[in-house]
Amino acid sequence: MHTTHIRHAHEALGARFTDFGGWDMPLQYAGVLSEHAAVRESAGAFDVSHLGRFSVDGEGATALLRSQLCNDIAAVNPGRAQYTMALNVNGGVEDDIIVWRFDEESYWVLPNGANVDEILARFREAAPPSVTIDTPRDHTVLFAVQGPKALDAIESVIGMRPGRFRVARGTFEGQDLWVGGTGYTGERGAEIAVTHDAGAALWQALMDAGVVPCGLGARDTLRLEMGYPLWGQDLDETTTPLEAGLGWVVNWDHEFVGRDALVRQREQGLGRKLIGFTTPGRRPPRHGYAVRSDQGSGVVSSGNISPVLGHGIGLAYIDSADEITGLEVDIRGTWTAAAVVDPPFLKK
Amino acid sequence: MQIPEDLRYAPNHEWLRQTGDTIRLGISDFAQDALGDIVFVDLPEVGTSFSAGDTFGEVESTKSVSDVYCPIDATVTAVNGALEDAPELINADPYGEGWFIELAPGEGATLDGLMDPAAYREYTE
Repeated sequence: MHTTHIRHAHEALGARFTDFGGWDMPLQYAGVLSEHAAVRESAGAFDVSHLGRFSVDGEGATALLRSQLCNDIAAVNPGRAQYTMALNVNGGVEDDIIVWRFDEESYWVLPNGANVDEILARFREAAPPSVTIDTPRDHTVLFAVQGPKALDAIESVIGMRPGRFRVARGTFEGQDLWVGGTGYTGERGAEIAVTHDAGAALWQALMDAGVVPCGLGARDTLRLEMGYPLWGQDLDETTTPLEAGLGWVVNWDHEFVGRDALVRQREQGLGRKLIGFTTPGRRPPRHGYAVRSDQGSGVVSSGNISPVLGHGIGLAYIDSADEITGLEVDIRGTWTAAAVVDPPFLKK
Repeated sequence: MQIPEDLRYAPNHEWLRQTGDTIRLGISDFAQDALGDIVFVDLPEVGTSFSAGDTFGEVESTKSVSDVYCPIDATVTAVNGALEDAPELINADPYGEGWFIELAPGEGATLDGLMDPAAYREYTE
């Protein structure tokens, strides 16, 4: 089992740990609800060192990314980040990925922790000799700092104030630092990597700046309030971005693995799609619960209570491409009327 | 971890307190801590009868849903209605305001077969 380089810091804060894709990572400190509230109202820090990150540098790097990923990285300038996906030949989502474009031919690719090996192997196999691929996850920590006060805290600690989807390199206490104005909560903030030697100091500096330590439990409720998909639940190799309602992530103006299958699906129409829904009351709809409607049936892919809204929210795959009416969710044996809602559930 | 001396404890981490003919039941500090933030609790109606070992309700946290068990033959005489709007009381005060239900023990039912505080402390360690 892997764990974060600064595990001792989390233990000192009373963290409870969980196995997340082979990494033993903080699940919660004070509690999911208070951590969720801290991110919505102030600022929270998550140790997400388990997330994948590998560098792609050299002549041909841009062409490599364009061929492997369905969004077009050439559409964003150096200094910017992009949300994208690696598809298989059937158009299924092998992973959803953030790319940080530092320079014309210099990138960090950030896959989900569970998919790093697969995505890395795929890139290495397709890379020309002029491209160098390295694995900074081996020698860095990665923290997500999120919330309305996150940028103030970040600026006070690292002297940089990353804009939305802006990326940059820097230093912290003489060690290399990489930062992107990205996250998974719907709040302003950044994800910051530093080399192992500076990891504990950066975490402590964030704590000293009043940032609240937050675990993966709150990260999940925060992302769900925004309707952000989680790979392995809302996306996997059998679902396409079109079915997941993520057609905006597909840039059709270039060739990429899976494009032909998506073109066919676009022409033939969808057999199923991902919808957002809300349920009244505090009882959470959960992953795996059945759904039915006038148009078809399906299953909840992600569900929980929204801590901010105080009622159930969820995403579900349903076997119809039509507008859904009469939606119901089987919550512990009770068919419960649900409203179809386009995410984000939390309108900001 | 609080384990009050005046209670008896069941293997699924329910506590029971007998006062005269009435038994109050909740879940232990250990249980609420393991569950995390509780967001919903499903409780039976007054008058419902259970046999020892029956599931009488469910507790849902942000992470999971768990059954709660009635460890003796009993009939529900009261339900803590405050939990409907404030299930967080279970986290904040598991042995006080976070109680679940009150029971009238069935014919011959006693708490004698349940763990005393010392046994429960050992059980949770």
